[in-house]
Amino acid sequence: MTAFVISFEPVGRRGKCRKNESLLACAHRLGVGINSICGGEGTCHACRVQVISGAVSKPAPSELEAFSSQELEEGWRLACQTYPASDCKIAVPTDSMTTTQRIQVEGLEAKVSVEPPVRVYRLQLAAPSLETPQADADRLLGALGRRHGVRCAKIDIGALRTISDQLRSWKWKSQAVVRNGELIAILASRNHHLGLALDLGTTKVAGYLVDLSDGRTLAAKGIMNPQISYGEDVISRINRAVKSPDGGVQLQKVAVDAINELCTDLCAEVAAKPEEILEAVVVGNTAMHHLLLRLPVKQLVLSPFVPAISRAVEVKARELGLKIAHGAYVHVLPNIAGFVGADHVSMLLATDAWQAQETTLALDIGTNTEVSLVYKGKITSTSCASGPAFEGGHIKYGMRAATGAIERLRIDRHRILYQTIGGVPPIGICGSGILDALAQLYLTEIIDEGGRIMDNRPRVRAYKGQREFILVSKEEHNGKPAITITQHDIRELQLAKAAIRTGIQVLLESAGCAEDDIRQVIIAGAFGTYIDVASAVTIGMLPSLPIKRFRQVGNAAGMGAKLALISLKSRARAEAVASTVSYVELASNPGFQPIFMQASYLGRYRFVDGRREKSTDAD
Amino acid sequence: MAKDLVKALSDLKEQEVVKIVEERLKAKEDPLKILEDARKGMEVVGKRFASSEYFIPDLVYSGEILKSVTELVKPKLTKETETKKLGKVVLGTVAGDIHDIGKDIVVFMLDVNGFEVHDLGVDVPPQKFVEKIKETGAPIVGLSGFLTLAFDSMKQTVEAIKAAGLRDKVKVMIGGGQITDEVTRYTSADAYGKDAVAGVALAKKWAGVK
Repeated sequence: MTAFVISFEPVGRRGKCRKNESLLACAHRLGVGINSICGGEGTCHACRVQVISGAVSKPAPSELEAFSSQELEEGWRLACQTYPASDCKIAVPTDSMTTTQRIQVEGLEAKVSVEPPVRVYRLQLAAPSLETPQADADRLLGALGRRHGVRCAKIDIGALRTISDQLRSWKWKSQAVVRNGELIAILASRNHHLGLALDLGTTKVAGYLVDLSDGRTLAAKGIMNPQISYGEDVISRINRAVKSPDGGVQLQKVAVDAINELCTDLCAEVAAKPEEILEAVVVGNTAMHHLLLRLPVKQLVLSPFVPAISRAVEVKARELGLKIAHGAYVHVLPNIAGFVGADHVSMLLATDAWQAQETTLALDIGTNTEVSLVYKGKITSTSCASGPAFEGGHIKYGMRAATGAIERLRIDRHRILYQTIGGVPPIGICGSGILDALAQLYLTEIIDEGGRIMDNRPRVRAYKGQREFILVSKEEHNGKPAITITQHDIRELQLAKAAIRTGIQVLLESAGCAEDDIRQVIIAGAFGTYIDVASAVTIGMLPSLPIKRFRQVGNAAGMGAKLALISLKSRARAEAVASTVSYVELASNPGFQPIFMQASYLGRYRFVDGRREKSTDAD
Repeated sequence: MAKDLVKALSDLKEQEVVKIVEERLKAKEDPLKILEDARKGMEVVGKRFASSEYFIPDLVYSGEILKSVTELVKPKLTKETETKKLGKVVLGTVAGDIHDIGKDIVVFMLDVNGFEVHDLGVDVPPQKFVEKIKETGAPIVGLSGFLTLAFDSMKQTVEAIKAAGLRDKVKVMIGGGQITDEVTRYTSADAYGKDAVAGVALAKKWAGVK
């Protein structure tokens, strides 16, 4: 069978489609970013494409469900379910493209004394001669001992392989990089001493290039995690790794390739090379952590959700395929449990929540929301399955925080005021906008506290058997289809926000702490940074506390990684925090169901003795 | 009058429901007829839930209203008129998975539709399903799982039922977030229900109820 040539429009990418390769797989291989939330199972309907010309396989049952007969006739298909039968031209609509994203890299700078695990020593060696024919490495180690009092018992094999050529080309002038009694690299005398702190998220990856000599951040950059092409959530990626041995290898490789590219870009900003990165620290949720280290993942997602390892891991960067200094290590911070990862530990570290004297609640909101309660010197954590609604998933017009997403919204009488990312005409609504919309609909009594859309309200219509609220009408949208919030969307949001509130409440109850006692609420993560906290309180996602007790801290996980990069003391702290936190499993908690029911209601409320009490605190 | 009860219950108006039931009992109406209307009301609740109009707390509330109806009616039921159950169903979330909200909704809906439901809970090993089927003689089995990795557990459960020589005595339905026809084939189940209402419809079909 000859391979068919597939061209993807409007991006204009063309390439051969392999045998038994779906359009989605072909697109991903060719670098065309098509959304896939379910990982190619045909259930999420995010990979809609239109076949412009050419023959393809018959529609699968899931496609008959996804499209009307007219749409099918127009060539609409799910890329993951469609296999080419001839050369094809495929149109990828904007909605199905993985768009460039707003990625958050900034966060609070924390002060610690700089004490990195790698030390760099300047050396000027005498050139060997027939009279002094000592071996190159021995000469260098000897000089290290004599001049700097540093004894090295080990040399990294990668460093050793290049040492002879390098010393000669540098005229015997170099910098020796020593880590824990091991010579891991040598540098030219003008080279930087760089470190990489990496927050490896399910959706986003944030990298920070740090000067190891003084702890300054020299450059920061965020990219999308390319594993998204293989499934948007942790579960579908783990599925992929479990299903075939190649799956895990491939997932690891795309992540590492992206990290290498990120390193090159970061280094380019300071005119350096990735080989000058002498140490890296990685934080991430436990699934990302396991996939990066190629650890077994199946047991992670099956009850009782056990990680392969919780304590910190140190591994040579090259074992992971990371192209930094020869013998450099990657230090991976410890995790707490299967669903509370090193990123959460890192956040507790960076925000100082771990040693908070007053009762503190710390949250990292995402597809999985991790919550920690610091109460009377004890830390308890849990993880809530808040789902993809806040990332725009399962929401009819939901999208990620990218250009064209409605990110803020107010309803003023019957006028809808909104702001989009990039100030362009709206194409959908992202998490912070969705949260605002829910709060505004509730405040204007368009939905009741149970979340039901009321009849006979302006901008409410019945469409395909359910009510929906029109955010941007067809007229307001220049003739393009209206952007709406459906009754079903509201239910998804209620499930998401109830999961978070339930997590908070279960922690409070198991610690015997009253809601009012919470003195500060730390909200970390990209979504948490952009939300309007007042909206989150209005819908009862967060406890009804005075607004001034809430603190939005940005990418605290990345900041924690930076601390661990430059400070051995911070690493020891992270280890101590991770091992002392007690994990509370939510789903098996007897209080879960009744609290969850209560927490699905909208409005400001507090839980008092397990009962929901309306609250009117304005501020 | 019949319509009032169906409407009041489906609109979740507890006081009205109680009032109507009390009046009808006073008028010496057949208690079974009252229960039948209550069931019809619950059917409407189920439909509204399926279309997102009602939410989980509404469902729970409707269950509470139904409970007060049965409490009122029960003393009037003679032994013979005791409602006959439509059939037995053994149901649970399969091994490795601990999601219970979806499963609980199915249990609830089967229950209010007149099935005798044996709920095994979550993270249920295959052997426990087999034992319960043997013990109850239930002809219908429901396997719930939200995780895609639960599909393997479903498959193993169906295999265990087969190994126990019970496969041709039971119909197996599966349900959960991500299930498709392909998953049904993979697990060798008989059918899948995309939501609780579909699950009840399957059970009714298998129990020979219209």
